[in-house]
Amino acid sequence: MKLILLKTILRDLLHRPWLTLLLIISVALGVAVVVAVDLANASATRAFELSTEVIVGKATHQIVGGAGGIDDGVYLHLRRDLGLRHIAPIVEGYVGAAELGGQTVRVLGIDLFAEPPFRTYITAGTNVSLDALSAFYTQPGAVLISADSAARYGLKTGDPITLQIGTTKKQITIVGLMQQPNDVSSRVLEGLVLTDIATAQELLDQNGRLSRIDLIATDAEAETIRQTLPAGLRLVRASEQADTVTQLTAAFRLNLTAFSLLALAVGMFLIYNTVMFSVVQRRRLLGILRCIGVTGREIFMLILAEAAVLGLIGSLLGLVLGIFLGRLTVALVTQTINDLYFTLSVSDVSIDALSLVKGLLLGIISALLAAALPAYEASSVPAVTVLQRSDLEDRIRRFLPSLNIFGVIMLAVGAGILVFGQSNISLLFVGVFLVLFGLVMYVPVLTIFVMRLATATIGRVGLTARMSSRTVVQALSRTSVAIASLMVAVAVTIGVTVMIASFRTTVENWLGQTLNADFYVSPPLSGANRIVSMDPALVERARAVEGVDAIEVLRSVTVAAQELGDVRLNATNGGRARESRIFRSFSGDPESIYPQLDAGAIAVTEPFANRHNVTEGSTVTLLTDKGARAFSIVGVYYDYSSDQGSILMSLDVYRQYWNDPAISGFSVYVAPGADVNQVEDGVRAALGGNDVVVQSNRALRDAALVIFDRTFAITQALRVIAVAVAFIGILSALMALQLERTRELGTLRATGMTLRQLWQLTLLESGLMGATAGVLAIPVGLILAAILIYVINLRSFGWTIFFTSVPEVYLQALLVSVTAALLAAIYPMLRLGRLQVVEALREE
Amino acid sequence: MTSPNGNTPRAIPQTSLIRFENVTKMFQEGENERAVLQGVNGGIARGEFVAIVGRSGSGKSTLLNLLAGLDTPTCGDIYVGDTNVAKMSDHDRTLFRRKNIGFVFQFFNLIPTLTVRENVLMTAELSGWKDNDAQAQASRLLQAVGLLDRANVFPDKLSGGEQQRVAIARALCADPELILADEPTGNLDAETGARILELLTTLARKQGKTLVMVTHSNDVAARADRVLKMEHGKLAAVGPQVVESGT
Amino acid sequence: MSLYGASSDTNVKRVLIALAFVALGVVGAFFYWRSLQTPPLATEIVALQSSQGSDGFARVIGAREMQFPRDHGPHLDYQTEWWYYTGNLQTEDGRRFGYQLTFFRRGITPGTPVHRASEWATNQIYFAHFALTDVASNTHNASEIFSRGAAGLAGATADPFRVWIENWSATSMNADASKVNLIADDGKMAIDLNLTASKPPVVHGAGGVSRKTETSGNASYYVSFTRMPTEGTLRINDDEFRVTGNSWFDHEWGTTSLGENAAGWDWFSIQLDDNRELMFFQIRNKDGSIELLSSGTVVEPDGATRFLSRNDVTITPQAYWTSSYSQGKYPSKWRVTSAAGDFDLTITPVIADQEMRVSFVYWEGAVDVQGTSQGKPVRGRGFVEMTGYGLQARGDVGY
Repeated sequence: MKLILLKTILRDLLHRPWLTLLLIISVALGVAVVVAVDLANASATRAFELSTEVIVGKATHQIVGGAGGIDDGVYLHLRRDLGLRHIAPIVEGYVGAAELGGQTVRVLGIDLFAEPPFRTYITAGTNVSLDALSAFYTQPGAVLISADSAARYGLKTGDPITLQIGTTKKQITIVGLMQQPNDVSSRVLEGLVLTDIATAQELLDQNGRLSRIDLIATDAEAETIRQTLPAGLRLVRASEQADTVTQLTAAFRLNLTAFSLLALAVGMFLIYNTVMFSVVQRRRLLGILRCIGVTGREIFMLILAEAAVLGLIGSLLGLVLGIFLGRLTVALVTQTINDLYFTLSVSDVSIDALSLVKGLLLGIISALLAAALPAYEASSVPAVTVLQRSDLEDRIRRFLPSLNIFGVIMLAVGAGILVFGQSNISLLFVGVFLVLFGLVMYVPVLTIFVMRLATATIGRVGLTARMSSRTVVQALSRTSVAIASLMVAVAVTIGVTVMIASFRTTVENWLGQTLNADFYVSPPLSGANRIVSMDPALVERARAVEGVDAIEVLRSVTVAAQELGDVRLNATNGGRARESRIFRSFSGDPESIYPQLDAGAIAVTEPFANRHNVTEGSTVTLLTDKGARAFSIVGVYYDYSSDQGSILMSLDVYRQYWNDPAISGFSVYVAPGADVNQVEDGVRAALGGNDVVVQSNRALRDAALVIFDRTFAITQALRVIAVAVAFIGILSALMALQLERTRELGTLRATGMTLRQLWQLTLLESGLMGATAGVLAIPVGLILAAILIYVINLRSFGWTIFFTSVPEVYLQALLVSVTAALLAAIYPMLRLGRLQVVEALREE
Repeated sequence: MTSPNGNTPRAIPQTSLIRFENVTKMFQEGENERAVLQGVNGGIARGEFVAIVGRSGSGKSTLLNLLAGLDTPTCGDIYVGDTNVAKMSDHDRTLFRRKNIGFVFQFFNLIPTLTVRENVLMTAELSGWKDNDAQAQASRLLQAVGLLDRANVFPDKLSGGEQQRVAIARALCADPELILADEPTGNLDAETGARILELLTTLARKQGKTLVMVTHSNDVAARADRVLKMEHGKLAAVGPQVVESGT
Repeated sequence: MSLYGASSDTNVKRVLIALAFVALGVVGAFFYWRSLQTPPLATEIVALQSSQGSDGFARVIGAREMQFPRDHGPHLDYQTEWWYYTGNLQTEDGRRFGYQLTFFRRGITPGTPVHRASEWATNQIYFAHFALTDVASNTHNASEIFSRGAAGLAGATADPFRVWIENWSATSMNADASKVNLIADDGKMAIDLNLTASKPPVVHGAGGVSRKTETSGNASYYVSFTRMPTEGTLRINDDEFRVTGNSWFDHEWGTTSLGENAAGWDWFSIQLDDNRELMFFQIRNKDGSIELLSSGTVVEPDGATRFLSRNDVTITPQAYWTSSYSQGKYPSKWRVTSAAGDFDLTITPVIADQEMRVSFVYWEGAVDVQGTSQGKPVRGRGFVEMTGYGLQARGDVGY
């Protein structure tokens, strides 16, 4: 590339600061969203990996049991009788810690002497004093926390911490602080309360039971050990355990990434738009260059180089913005993961170099891709252009048929992927994008159609109206791109809104049908995929309260299923709750479902059936405390509480196979005629002294919906950004149009058109474009919503969502589009006011 | 002297730098095709100063564009030296143009984002001159057009005449054999125009360049070695002096 | 007379060992895994020896009415305790082996802990050293394990006598614990030996009390079986050997800490073929002098004991061996003579390198003895222990 050419084009950029700025902003916004989501995902994943590192350490395998854990004797046998040395007992659980910011923390109980081969986080530093270790070893309730956590919450050695454990509060004492030599591993220790194994057993009320046993062994050694294990225990690879948990959130994280890419895609439209405009603006300059001997190839490279430079600047800006946005996003992501999947504490966004590099490359590549077509257009500017008018629009119109064919192909391939793409979510999203862009290909044709319609209708009003619709068609190459970007953004908004609204309505209805008890009693700390326990004796105390008609008990645990890994199992003795479940499908007649459950069969939720590809008639083999047992499925029922799915079992059957008398919660039905509030107070009083949460039907329903809304908060945020990007798109497109028409407008002014009329013209053009985008966005948005509901959600999360129409959203879409378009017309209008007729005429 | 239909080649100098044979150019206008040039033949000798005259729409600019390789004829051949420009690809034509042709336009067409010096040495740089050589050449030419002292200002600070002088320096900078000028005085007042013309012709002759100029001006045509007159897409007359009336 | 005071000092050496071992054991346990990450600091170990609180632990003051098997068991009121088995073994065709199996106990707080709900709760730390010397292949290997004294993983009982850490154990096979089964297996080497005492337990000093310094209470109780004919099997890698020989058992407990002047010690346990045994040790001070309280015991064929004071015995190193591991320059041949002319012995290690490369580095190995005893030529075997010659913490010697 000749330096002088680069100088020519880059100096030209400085002469068009607005244009340059728009291009940079489009890239920056797109990159920022992608980087923000990527950073948030990476931070969440990294936090998870770090906590896994803490928990798993160097273990290659783990021995795990059912909800009740593992008997101490198993460890003793392995260590003492079999002489295994690389083996460590672990007792762990989640508790609330008031003094640690009220967050949920992990209590990890270890045996100091078994630890060395496994975990190094205490050993890495020398800051844990021997006095502290002595206390840690011998004192009940002695714990170590990280020095960073202590500093953050203003705690020091000797301070007490109150833990919320199940339904009780217990006090522990900090006997020492763990300091880490570097920043990364210190974050490992956050959210961790380290105790001696004896202390952990006592705190968590797990005396005589271990949560798991860690091993370092070859697969062959592990196999030998496996054979000595009693029934109900499993030996799994440590990595498998970690993988399972990562996979839990895979769909969620992928969905976020897809939405962020959508923002980038809208950004690409913008870049295309801006570069195309700059090419149009420079036809004369390019013509001169062609005349004096610059080849088409050089012009092509020149435009690409320009895009690359601006792409780089925009991407760098996007990185900064992305990191800032990432800090906001990570909180949302973490919250959702905590709500839906597992406990994760992410204190800060980790600036992952890979994410930044990815964002940078993505920004530059998008800029290059988006600039490729305009650059090609520029390279084919005939040299004679210096003396002639553009024939660009003619060419675009000749290109329309191929555009439509291209659209058909994209739609066909996209639809094919969606229908046959199974549950590969990445592939499904490729399908969504293909369908969306396939539809975009029709924007030019449809724009012409809508404008003809406009000419035929509002065109009768007057000359300006007729002129405006014709202008839109005349400048189709730029107007259609602007309309398309706005349309895509608004369509995404419609699609996502309709999907969320449908989902919410479905969940609301489901909650209404399912939550039929009057109030619910549970331990304070409950969350997805966590096992919480309370004393079964509380049930009897509640039952004795006057006005209590019936009580139904729930035991919710994670158990191991052969080939399926860990699965959630809900065991209830519910008589009334049964009536509320709605079965999607079942074997036999509906009356026989519950008798079959009582006889030892199970039912599964819809996500479970979809995820594991089972249905009524299939069997699921669960590893019970009595060994592996096959349970047959009698039915599949709707459930929206977890995308992992769960198994429903009769409580009696559960207790028959598992030695686990604990309960996870119970629901209370108030006798007819009794006052619900009075009974609730009575139950509260009866359970006094125990920390339980008593939630009314209403409160529980609201709480569920709060979590629901929180889950989609990030999607909403991304939606707003997509609209912002599209707004800038339409702004730049309009500015481009108006700037290009300076001479024409000058002429109009010279021939006697008033400024007012010109404003009218501009507003009309802009409004027409916005309206077109809005109108086109409605069907596209509905198609998108349908795909999200019937394909993406069903395949990636396994939920059937019932489509709910949201009429106001269409009006909103139209309003947003037109408003955005009209707002975008303001700058060109201001510029019109300053237009010097003579100057405008003299140009060219 | 001239055949009525212009088909018979006449008075083509033996030492032609440029020969054009049976050159026809059609333009698409909606459904119809319109012939702007209809089988034009002719030639221009090395070192010759040829003026092309004719009414608006007579096809003189189209002919110039074809000679420059900016456009290709619908049919016919255009030889510059031994090269048939009409048969070359756009890319090759551009490279050919870059080396062999200098342009002077009516509206100057300087690149506003480059300084006077940069505008001038651009053509030399594009032709692959060494930087030092290009700089020296640019200085020499700016000296010749009397603007060396304005070398580092941007074109918008110059008057029309000055801009056109820069354009002349630019056209000569890569040392092309052929200078094509499209109404170089058309946008200037008479006095300035005369001076520019003087400068252009003097420099062209001094350096032995072939100069082809499209013009409306009789004064300009009067200075040419030969005048080609275009009428309705045909070469109406070729003569040492053709005085056109009515323009 | 002097017997009381002097004999109470007999055990100073073992007290020192115990303290060093046990103190280092506690620290060693912690530092063992620290050493996996960062080099442990010798200074911290030294600091710990004085900083580790012994508040509330009973002191060894006055004679103790020894009762067996009660006193073979643990004494949780005292901070430190160990059970120490060493021996020389051979196969039928004469292949020589030496072994050491030692169990250490360290109380973090005195006595039996308050009852806690978890079986894992404890205030005791146990650790053990296991070493085998194979003369034929000129090899010596050592290993160690640590464990909490709870949940059945490690512990000690008096009746029946048993001390164990995981799958290493010493278990009495009769009521008075004069017959003991030793089992240890670290995966590469193993022993399964039956030991039967041929003499009654030796209570060193007066009433077993061993004073360390002039300070009252800085002492330990010390009892031994000095001759325990032994038979059983040992395994090195995949080779198993039937072996017979003689073992020596020491049991000591106390609550005390190391003297500041002590640089290290040399300890000798000798079993002569005239059926006499000799135990003697000396403490080397930092200034190169020998501690006055260095002492020993002679056990006669009938089990009668006689106290040896510092001045009764002269130990002269005659050769040295340098460890490339710890850089320690250890004596590797001694002449031990009694002032009274009772014995004049030359002691030679069966192999030079019997350094214990565990958390705390020291030399402990089988030796051959020849010379005169009560004027007659005599041969014998025994064990020698030496500390303080090289870098002692495992991390210091370059892991």
